[in-house]
Amino acid sequence: MLDIKPIFNAIRRSKIGAVLLLLQIALTMSIVSNAAFMINDHVSYLRKDTGFPEKEIFSFAVMTFGKDRSLSQQAEVDETMIRNLPGVINATLSQAVPLSGGGSTSTMRLRPSPETSKSVSVAYYNTDEHGLETFGVKLIEGRNFRPEEVIIGDDFNGNGPNTIIVSQPFVEALFPDGNALGQTVYFSNRPLQIIGIVETMKSPWPSSDRDEITALVPFIDAKNYQHIVVRADKNERANIMANIEQNMLDAYDKRVIINVDGLDKTKENYDATDVLMMRMLIVLVVILLLITALGIFGLTQFNISKRTKQIGTRRALGARKSAIVRYFLIENTMVCMAGLFIGGVAAVVLGDVMMKTYSISSLELEFIVGTAIFIFAMSIFAVIFPAMRAANISPSIATRSI
Amino acid sequence: MLTMNNVSKIYQTNSVQTHALRDFSLTVNEGEFIAVTGPSGSGKTTFLNIAGLLEPFTSGQYTLDGVDIGGLSDNQTADLRNQKIGYIFQGFNLIPDLNLYENVEVPLRYRGIAAKERKIRIEQCLEQVGLASRAKHLPQQLSGGQQQRVAIARALAGKPRFLLADEPTGNLDSLMARQVMELLEEINKNGATIVMVTHDAELARRAPRNIQVVDGQLADFTLYQGKPTLAATRDNETVVASGV
Ligand SMILES: Nc1ncnc2c1ncn2[C@@H]1O[C@H](COP(=O)(O)OP(=O)(O)OP(=O)(O)O)[C@@H](O)[C@H]1O
Ligand SMILES: [Mg+2]
Repeated sequence: MLDIKPIFNAIRRSKIGAVLLLLQIALTMSIVSNAAFMINDHVSYLRKDTGFPEKEIFSFAVMTFGKDRSLSQQAEVDETMIRNLPGVINATLSQAVPLSGGGSTSTMRLRPSPETSKSVSVAYYNTDEHGLETFGVKLIEGRNFRPEEVIIGDDFNGNGPNTIIVSQPFVEALFPDGNALGQTVYFSNRPLQIIGIVETMKSPWPSSDRDEITALVPFIDAKNYQHIVVRADKNERANIMANIEQNMLDAYDKRVIINVDGLDKTKENYDATDVLMMRMLIVLVVILLLITALGIFGLTQFNISKRTKQIGTRRALGARKSAIVRYFLIENTMVCMAGLFIGGVAAVVLGDVMMKTYSISSLELEFIVGTAIFIFAMSIFAVIFPAMRAANISPSIATRSI
Repeated sequence: MLTMNNVSKIYQTNSVQTHALRDFSLTVNEGEFIAVTGPSGSGKTTFLNIAGLLEPFTSGQYTLDGVDIGGLSDNQTADLRNQKIGYIFQGFNLIPDLNLYENVEVPLRYRGIAAKERKIRIEQCLEQVGLASRAKHLPQQLSGGQQQRVAIARALAGKPRFLLADEPTGNLDSLMARQVMELLEEINKNGATIVMVTHDAELARRAPRNIQVVDGQLADFTLYQGKPTLAATRDNETVVASGV
């Protein structure tokens, strides 16, 4: 038998403590469910496949100050030198390093502008025919670039490439019916034929929402500041990285080699502020939950000490110990449920605002339900021990205290 | 109804032992109305608490309505309290967050009585104490005498065979006290056995049987007929004063 009505009336008549607790639970609910969702979102992002064998890849930047050589020719020499190093699988020039936070995007369309047609924003890597193997991405349809398809130069529109390799999400975005192989897309009004499709290849901005629509463009335009990406045997990589500066300077010394980083390290750096924020969020959530649990515990303790005589009287009137425990559990459940309901509504509103303001995905129901269950279980835990002590109050208190 | 045989109660606090009851023996028959008097600290409340199953005793034997109390579980004593005993406290002990109706309802809910039956009983009991019209009021909106009448209604609602009252008029003025006493007498006439602790000699005299507790023991008992006994003279001067 549940004494819901009289307990509800009692709460209603001595409201302040209950209302404060209710608001605290509501606040905790709305913040924790959103935070849990964000944390989960982030963890699944961190675990997501980037398409790159990160532990086999490293990159570095070359800043050339010498004016006595053709940069593109030197780049060819460097690439060949690196490929011949023991342990190296392949190497390529690339204007952007994957997962690094720096790169290029462009709009690609089905028809040249000014014709209106379906278009999509694409993060692209300018590489040569070694790019595919160096990046370690999986080709699922078509073929790699042929050497003669790789254009070396600086006039993309006038004398640029004619082919492109795109990612599967690129295909899904621009060719929902499939059948992308052999089709033409326009990049700065230059028609490029899709000759290959790779499964997964993240952009330089893996945490953004345009992280998967990517392409390889066979165009080498060596600059004073140039990235080289190298793929090597996992166990040899550290060794090769340690010597790469010397090897490069031995080949030509009027330049500086910087930012020699493994791709895993590059991604870690890229994620660092995010990870820090998530850690702070986790700490915040834990503190918030602890404070709420303490609040429930404290209010129950307070209620019990305030109601010692009442509890003794109830026992004298025939309440079993279990009835006293049940009283506090029901009281807690009612306050908690009301708080969780209000908090749940607030969570949806908050999630909505955050989705619109920070363009994060919308809060999923299971996080609201999960958080509610967790907070409720926690509240039961916080109530049960004081309630059990309350049940041990002697019925003789009824006559002994005035 | 109630038989105590050499019941003792020892309170143990910080190596100090208080013998609140010593070899206390008493028989109370069905339908009696007993007033318990005695000096402060003599053990009256202790006796009443043990009689009412509110606290355990240290040694001896206690039988209530044919049930041996020693060795009952906590749940069993709770159920016995709920079914057989009604309590009236000096401080009324109404639950401040509940209105009068809900207060009277408390023991009925613990007994698991259905809502419809509860309503009938509560209204009847509040009627009996003359407060039916104030069922929705909170205790603090009532005078002391009215609160005590609600407490009596609560004690009566479960139709107990045995009513225990510890100084039920202790917090009331003499007019209110008389009203409460009249109510108790009426209840006794209807068949309930009543044991009442009181400091009020006038009220004690109205009870058919008086007992005195002195130093944890039954000092003497006698049918009070207006003349103070020796024991009463010794232990309760006011009895003498008002009895003259
Ligand atoms: N919980 C307790 N712990 C220790 N000693 C107690 C406890 N309760 C009562 N006593 C002691 O037991 C003795 C009897 O107390 P009791 O309350 O029964 O007296 P009383 O006759 O009801 O007194 P009064 O007329 O003042 O109400 C007293 O000496 C008291 O101090
Ligand atoms: Mg007393």
